[in-house]
Amino acid sequence: MSDEHDTTGARERPDLSAEMVARIAEETRRNLLRLKHLNEMVLDPADPEVGLTPREEIYRKNKARLWRYQSARTRRTPLLFVPNLGISRPYIFDLMPRASFIEYMTGQGFDFYLLDWGVFGPEDNGFTFEDAVTKILPRMARKALESSGAEEMSVLGYCMGAPLSACFVTTHLDFPLKNYIDMAGPIDFAHVGMFGRWLDARYFDVDRFVDTLGSIPADMVKLGFKLLKPTMDLSTNANLWWNLWNREYVAGFRALNKWANEYLPFPGEFFRQWVKEFYQQNKLVKGELVMGGRPVKLSNITCPVLAVGAREDNIAPPACVKALVELVGGRDKEYVELPGGHISLIAGRGAAAHCWPKVASWLAARS
Amino acid sequence: MAMAQAGSQELLDLWTKQMEEGSETWLRMLRQGLLTDPQAFWRAFMDQGAAAWSALLTQASPSPDLSGQWKPFLDQWLAAWSRVFEQAMGTEAFAQVMGKQLETFLNAGGPMQKAAEQQIETGLAGLGLPSRTQVIGLAQQIIGLEEKVDRLEDRLDAVLKQLKELAAARPAPA
Repeated sequence: MSDEHDTTGARERPDLSAEMVARIAEETRRNLLRLKHLNEMVLDPADPEVGLTPREEIYRKNKARLWRYQSARTRRTPLLFVPNLGISRPYIFDLMPRASFIEYMTGQGFDFYLLDWGVFGPEDNGFTFEDAVTKILPRMARKALESSGAEEMSVLGYCMGAPLSACFVTTHLDFPLKNYIDMAGPIDFAHVGMFGRWLDARYFDVDRFVDTLGSIPADMVKLGFKLLKPTMDLSTNANLWWNLWNREYVAGFRALNKWANEYLPFPGEFFRQWVKEFYQQNKLVKGELVMGGRPVKLSNITCPVLAVGAREDNIAPPACVKALVELVGGRDKEYVELPGGHISLIAGRGAAAHCWPKVASWLAARS
Repeated sequence: MAMAQAGSQELLDLWTKQMEEGSETWLRMLRQGLLTDPQAFWRAFMDQGAAAWSALLTQASPSPDLSGQWKPFLDQWLAAWSRVFEQAMGTEAFAQVMGKQLETFLNAGGPMQKAAEQQIETGLAGLGLPSRTQVIGLAQQIIGLEEKVDRLEDRLDAVLKQLKELAAARPAPA
């Protein structure tokens, strides 16, 4: 039969193969789902539920809370998790079921304690980095130890929580520290990347900044972090549209988006000391830092140490984190560099594949 | 299908090359201090981008798989922009500009903030309501009280610990 008399339309056209037709049909189906889910997101902007791993409050001091998470507690040594103060909420570590570092670690049998620094107000403008290290951390660590009934404790510092907890453990040598982990925590601020350049004393007058503003508003903190990656919002929204047909993706996006837009203010004096003594003067790595009248010497950390850097981290680049293992005094020390950025190191699909198992196995062998 | 993919890749390669050349030029001009007016730069950058875009669209092969072409194209475009921004914002010049912008903000914002606070305080006083300063002061007093209670708790713990040690050291009665 010649082509002219073919009325069935069954003959394959060279520019529209069966595969292409199937792809267009699938794309049409996905576009309809995208519109449906977009409609649902707009008409039902309910707050997603986050931080669902069961926990109980052990202690509170000012705005800070110490939480103990439900766990089988098969590991003898409990773990105190010290996150960043201010900046963002700590529920990123317990975002959703099956997407939670805390859920994973408690599932591995660790007795997990989280120090939630809380949200500081103008009444806390006089609160310094030193206050966090000398007044809040020691009390929280002691309460965690008492509550667990254990004789020793492991400490994990994430992001700013690493220099905070490092200052604490090196100035409170009576604290029975079993293991120490630095996860994406900046130690050597000479390699801290863009923030280091922007906060350079030649260009940034932190005294004037704090004296004028009092506390650093959450909007300013947000602006600073958004400037690190100006195209992030664009790519996030593009990816959202692309994956909007996937209900599971949408649920994850809503939870992460809630966290990503919830910034916290910094107490003024805390910010002043943090910028001056760490970013501008790099005192921690030089051994010039003093907290509560005691020198902060990283060589005082003689327990096993694990430092985890993220390959694409632009807040605490790998070189900045790795410096810790070169300065601590113990022999059992390891630096590992994993794929991901500052947040995706600890939260997300990549984290579940790389970071969580590594940290859990390292700790389990020493707990 | 293969033709469509080849067309997309061609577009992406051409676009990436344009972006890299553009960003190199920009950075060179920034380092040489030839760009004192950021707006003048951005206008030139956008004009160059638009010209490159139209040239690419006329050169590249057409394909019906529009959405399959669109996403990787956008991803590459955003990645290229991201690299450009990273390079530019990591320079001393940018840090200097940002510092000056912050100074301007503080010069203007500081007095405005003080004036606004003054007005609010006056307004609240007029209504017989506690001022912001008074509420903050009250909160600070509570924090101070909590510190005192903590210190008392510490002393009590120390005393109890000493008593326990004494009791443990005392020999058992015969």
